[in-house]
Amino acid sequence: MPSLDIAGLITKVALGDRAALASLYSAVSPKLFAICLRILKDRADAEDALQDVFVKIWQRADRYAATGVNPNGWLAAIARNQAIDMIRARRPAADTIGDEGLDIADGSPDPEAVSIGLGEGRRIDRCMGELAPERADAVRNAYVEGLSYQELAERYSVPLNTMRTWLRRSLLKLKECLER
Amino acid sequence: MTEVDDSDGDRSRDEVLAAEYAVGVLSLADRKRLQARIEREPAFALLVARWEDRLSPLEPDGEEMPPRTVYPKIEARLFGPPMTAAAAHGGWWHSVALWRGVAFASLAALVAMAAVQQGLFGPATRPEPLVASMTGEGSPLALLASYDAASGRIAVTPVAADAGQPRALQLWMVPGGDAAPVPLGVLPQDGRGMIEVPAALRATLGDGMTLAVSVEPPGGSPIGLPTGPVIAAGQARHP
Repeated sequence: MPSLDIAGLITKVALGDRAALASLYSAVSPKLFAICLRILKDRADAEDALQDVFVKIWQRADRYAATGVNPNGWLAAIARNQAIDMIRARRPAADTIGDEGLDIADGSPDPEAVSIGLGEGRRIDRCMGELAPERADAVRNAYVEGLSYQELAERYSVPLNTMRTWLRRSLLKLKECLER
Repeated sequence: MTEVDDSDGDRSRDEVLAAEYAVGVLSLADRKRLQARIEREPAFALLVARWEDRLSPLEPDGEEMPPRTVYPKIEARLFGPPMTAAAAHGGWWHSVALWRGVAFASLAALVAMAAVQQGLFGPATRPEPLVASMTGEGSPLALLASYDAASGRIAVTPVAADAGQPRALQLWMVPGGDAAPVPLGVLPQDGRGMIEVPAALRATLGDGMTLAVSVEPPGGSPIGLPTGPVIAAGQARHP
């Protein structure tokens, strides 16, 4: 379904339209269920997550308009965040907010001045290609499988702080490339 | 970080935190902390939304059909127990018939209560009205009855129950047959407000017309037809 139609359904859901919620479910639940399944790797867990995802969509649909982002991305983010919260609760990870990797110039213009690129297409692939292969791989695995810093560090056999620095620098480089 | 001032430092730190949150690498405790910030800081929420948008092309293609049992569970969580099969299949009229019994039962209970109050306290012994709030387990409706012993009258105000989820009660005129229900207005949730019947509808509102109340999102049904369960209905009659 074109994203314009999805955006229209989300707007109707924000107005409390139950039929629109049912249509939205038919249109996007296979995609959102696949996201939950990829992260949780368990069908029963993914079904529970999907329920929570649609409860959140119903409750938060009114906030969608304020973000101005691609509706499919907005929906996918709700699914990913729900699945990641569930997997973190099951496989606890060490708290990791630290300062590593923060000492690099951002170099981007004021965030307010940057418009969000809708339909970025495969531009992300070109920008991932500018990262060192192993680091691009780490970003992709973190995103797709919902891995924690700790799990990433174990998988790539590097200390946790090193992984944190890798990932932070890679993400900022990615942003810089996408906005170029 | 000595060469950047604090505000820039905070901004680039927030940029990194938003990115880490969007990728999903943080611990649950860190995620909960940032979710609280997303709730209260629109600027931070926007940074996160932009990162989520930016990274979304990394999502691999692929779909997986969830089992059919999931959506009914979602509906039950959001809207309460499912309606009868007839109502679920669009038989709005059947649901009116179904709920008519409920409305009559409530009324009978009220009349009985009025008799009891009258007997217990006698007329005019208490200046304060007696108030009863009546709810049912899992029912989206509560009735607030206020009994004025001096006049012997009970005023009944419907209130949408379940304060956690704001809902409105909408009054409908149901011509019957194939005619669609006509919205008359949203009932006030507190106090004894009046609904003014639109002038154009007054001619059709007469003896035998069915009136019904449904549970709707705040402000009333967005589509001009009942979307929630019909919780009360009855025919209008001249006494």
